[in-house]
Amino acid sequence: MNSNKVEQLVIATVGFFWCFLMWFSTAAFSPSIAANYHLDIKELGLLASSAIWMAPIGRIVAGWASDRFGAPRTFAAILAGCGLVSIASGFTSNYDLLFAERVVVAIAGVSFVVGIQHVAQWFDSHEIGTAEGLYAGTGNVGAGVGALLLPRIFGTNYQGAFVWLGAIALGIGLWYLVRGSAAKNAERRHAARVGSDMRGTIFVWSRYIAIALMLAYAMSFGLEIAMNAWLPGYFARGFHGAILALGFTSVAGVQIAAGTFAAVQSFTASLFRPFAGFMSDLFQRRGWTPLPFIAKSLPYAPRLHWLGIALILITLAMAALTAAGLSGSLHLSVAVLVAFGIFVSFGTGGTFALVPLLFPDRPGVAAGFIGGISTAGGIVYPLIFAGSANIHMGYLYAALYMFVPFLLFYFWAARYERHPEEHGLFEAVPAE
Amino acid sequence: MSMNLDSETPVTYGSWYKYGVAFLSVEMLIAIAVSAYSLYMTFHGLGGFPGKH
Repeated sequence: MNSNKVEQLVIATVGFFWCFLMWFSTAAFSPSIAANYHLDIKELGLLASSAIWMAPIGRIVAGWASDRFGAPRTFAAILAGCGLVSIASGFTSNYDLLFAERVVVAIAGVSFVVGIQHVAQWFDSHEIGTAEGLYAGTGNVGAGVGALLLPRIFGTNYQGAFVWLGAIALGIGLWYLVRGSAAKNAERRHAARVGSDMRGTIFVWSRYIAIALMLAYAMSFGLEIAMNAWLPGYFARGFHGAILALGFTSVAGVQIAAGTFAAVQSFTASLFRPFAGFMSDLFQRRGWTPLPFIAKSLPYAPRLHWLGIALILITLAMAALTAAGLSGSLHLSVAVLVAFGIFVSFGTGGTFALVPLLFPDRPGVAAGFIGGISTAGGIVYPLIFAGSANIHMGYLYAALYMFVPFLLFYFWAARYERHPEEHGLFEAVPAE
Repeated sequence: MSMNLDSETPVTYGSWYKYGVAFLSVEMLIAIAVSAYSLYMTFHGLGGFPGKH
């Protein structure tokens, strides 16, 4: 049974890694696509943002489907559907059709919640943080790996890349279907299936602690994907003089420099995520509950405290980014960005070390709600950053006007010493 | 400041756990290497590998 558990973790991680690779593969080839179809900057921006359009709603549906039909079937369906459309997009010569096909391929990003549900159905509470962290962190880095390797392997031949990505997705989908198993035992599987009805969905959506975790994930993962899109442009504009002074004088050179500085956030936020899950497990093991107000006697109270610490650090890091930017120091800004990425990973890893424990009978529905709505942050934050008169001030505004209220709500919702999941907008508890 | 929860009951980790922790350590090293390279580039610009272009 133990080796089977590890096999399920490996299958879910490989599947998610490939889905993330497909999710951001359009962005990796956007210069080639823009050159091929003569796109202007607005059309290019639309193409880049389209990757996130399907995530909020898609993740909710995917979470419900994984509880209802089991993770292997749901994940295989996502891989097969996105893989087939990816192959089709490799043979498309009409831009409108290509755009629509790439929006469909971006549905691959919803697979996150399916794997979260799958891992939660196999691992026990004392090791869930590390297991979920390994799954999500290793999978997330698919975005960075894709941006780094795909253009080097395929050059400007994005059509060939889309065909290969799709074909391999079909193979992984088949593997997932054949070797994947929905849950550790029949009891867990049954509980998840029963909990996925409409009453169970409304129950999860109306819980204060679920809303608090959704906002915590918006502060971490929502921010991570927002920064993926925002940071290259931020460095290119906010530190244009400093980059020129380094010798990157051509447009391509500025892009390389800005992209390299921005990659710090993507790599640290992804690759420190398993460590964040490990830290959540460590807090739990040692029983650390240092924060005021947050519950101290719940079985998973130390994990609530670890997440609270992560959210405070993210808020402080946002203010530090503004301070570093206003100082005009490129070195300081990149150094702060390293800490920022690590703190974001604490938030993402800390949140999903808690979700399966708070809603053990509805892991997919809960993951879909928390992991889905929060991705809207990827659309909202760049608007705040871009809307500020000073390009460096947006981080502070987002921290003050969004993150501080989110943080206060988290402390308030996590204060219950008994069954926080029973407290919500109404007290109705669905039949199990 | 602290409390005893799981620490009161001995927890047995599967054999996978130590490999999982080793793997996440390697992942962190990769992230640190990328960060160090980026920081190096903020000081050396075109001199930073592979900044020659």
